[in-house]
Amino acid sequence: MNGLLRPVLVIVWKDLLLELRSKDLVVSVLVFGLLVVLVFNFALNNAPGRSEELAPGILWAAFAFAAVMAMNRAFVRDQEQGGLEGLLISPVSRDAIFLGKALTSLVFMLLVEAALLPVYAVMLNFSALSFNLVLTIFLGTLGFAVVGTLFSAMAVQTRSRELMLPVLFFPVVLPVIIASVEASTRAVGGETFIGLGRWLPLIGVFDAVFLVICPWIFAFVVEE
Amino acid sequence: MASSQSLTSPSSRMPSAKTVMAAITGVMMVINLYLIFMVAPTDSVLGHVQRVFYFHVPIAIMSFLAFFVVFAGSVMYLITRSPKWDAVAHAAAEVGVVLVTLALITGIIWARPVWNTWWTWEPRLTTTLILWLIYVAYLMVRSYAPTQSKGAIYAAVMGIVGFVDVPIVYYSVVWWRSIHPSPVVGPFAQADALDGTMALVLLYSFITFVFFFVYMVMERMSLRSMEEALGRIRFTLRRSGR
Amino acid sequence: MLESVLLSSHLPSSNLPYLFAAFAVSWVVLFGYLFYVNRRQHEMRKEIARLETMLEQSQEHTDGQ
Repeated sequence: MNGLLRPVLVIVWKDLLLELRSKDLVVSVLVFGLLVVLVFNFALNNAPGRSEELAPGILWAAFAFAAVMAMNRAFVRDQEQGGLEGLLISPVSRDAIFLGKALTSLVFMLLVEAALLPVYAVMLNFSALSFNLVLTIFLGTLGFAVVGTLFSAMAVQTRSRELMLPVLFFPVVLPVIIASVEASTRAVGGETFIGLGRWLPLIGVFDAVFLVICPWIFAFVVEE
Repeated sequence: MASSQSLTSPSSRMPSAKTVMAAITGVMMVINLYLIFMVAPTDSVLGHVQRVFYFHVPIAIMSFLAFFVVFAGSVMYLITRSPKWDAVAHAAAEVGVVLVTLALITGIIWARPVWNTWWTWEPRLTTTLILWLIYVAYLMVRSYAPTQSKGAIYAAVMGIVGFVDVPIVYYSVVWWRSIHPSPVVGPFAQADALDGTMALVLLYSFITFVFFFVYMVMERMSLRSMEEALGRIRFTLRRSGR
Repeated sequence: MLESVLLSSHLPSSNLPYLFAAFAVSWVVLFGYLFYVNRRQHEMRKEIARLETMLEQSQEHTDGQ
């Protein structure tokens, strides 16, 4: 376990450190997240009485688009400066590279979401102080990160890579979006853990299935 | 020109597997149309429009089977690296996209008179739409990849991930639907019962479309082998300095 | 009353355009695809033949030298 865990953490640390030094991705994703709320608020006519029913949908639309935006950049730096080749030559298993990249994206997205959630709670007028909501956000973001990392590794090599990722990403993560919106609606409405019903297990199944498949497939994507 | 024609396509001399398949499919399709319009009884509730069913359902089932072929071909390609498997998956995906498109269009035309709406976010319809999107992405990532071999791998990845994802999509929409029932349900939403003759015609139509599918895949695969042959000749020409 | 109105709009005769549309679309899509693949095959065959004669000529040319 130690053999897998250490390289994963080193990769996460490297990527987060790079990000924290420049901060351009964090800033742009945060600003983008605020813009999404602005657009949806008027597109959906978020009148005072309706915000509890609309808020989870807006929340997840913002998170999903922000995830694509962040994931689009996950391999760009490595691709441009040959860092990925370096990683692939180093004595680190492909699984560790994949898990490191996915964990980076997860941590990054969770940080962005943690910053956005209180702002959304104020602007959309719902209570974010709910363990179930936080759990839903964690599981949903994990699903985004796992699938997004795999597709990002592919999309970064294709022509028009910024366009390719959403085309690959959105149809596949649709179950996560549906389940997250449903679970969040219940969590915001004050339901208990049992009251969330089958939605959290559904996200859990999605996460588990792709956590098993994606590292295996990733090895083929990055091979020479 | 004429002499080299026979040289490059020796198969045109004898009836190839493709020609045989085309003949069988054609005959089966004629019989199929006869069965659909002459033998199958007119539905007592829906009338003649119910005959769309004999095309729509087999095409929809066939398109799902097509993506099973894509999945199997993708897994085999990643394991064995034989281009043969990639060719099978590629052809099945392209034909599958054609079939899904058709299933969606006939489904919309069916829904209007029967359910009184063009579109409803019903689990089968929604899953079919997602299937279409996933396999369009499959074809896109293949053609946008930097090299052909990379394209084959990326496509295989999408073929596997997409196929695994479809059941999850289906159940998520089923559960979503049980909470958000559609307000528009036509007067005949429940009129799906089939009598014996109808079921047999449907089964025959399905078998016909299996043959049609295999024939289309064969045509697509031979197109691909020609593209590869052309690539090889271009390569030789370039090397010989022309 | 409402049901009879609904039913009348779904009488077999009023449904025929949908039947026609569905089968017309099916033929157009299926044969359109087959036609497209066939035309591409034809183009490929012509191109291959053209290049092969070019290849033969260039080989004759080098043999002659």
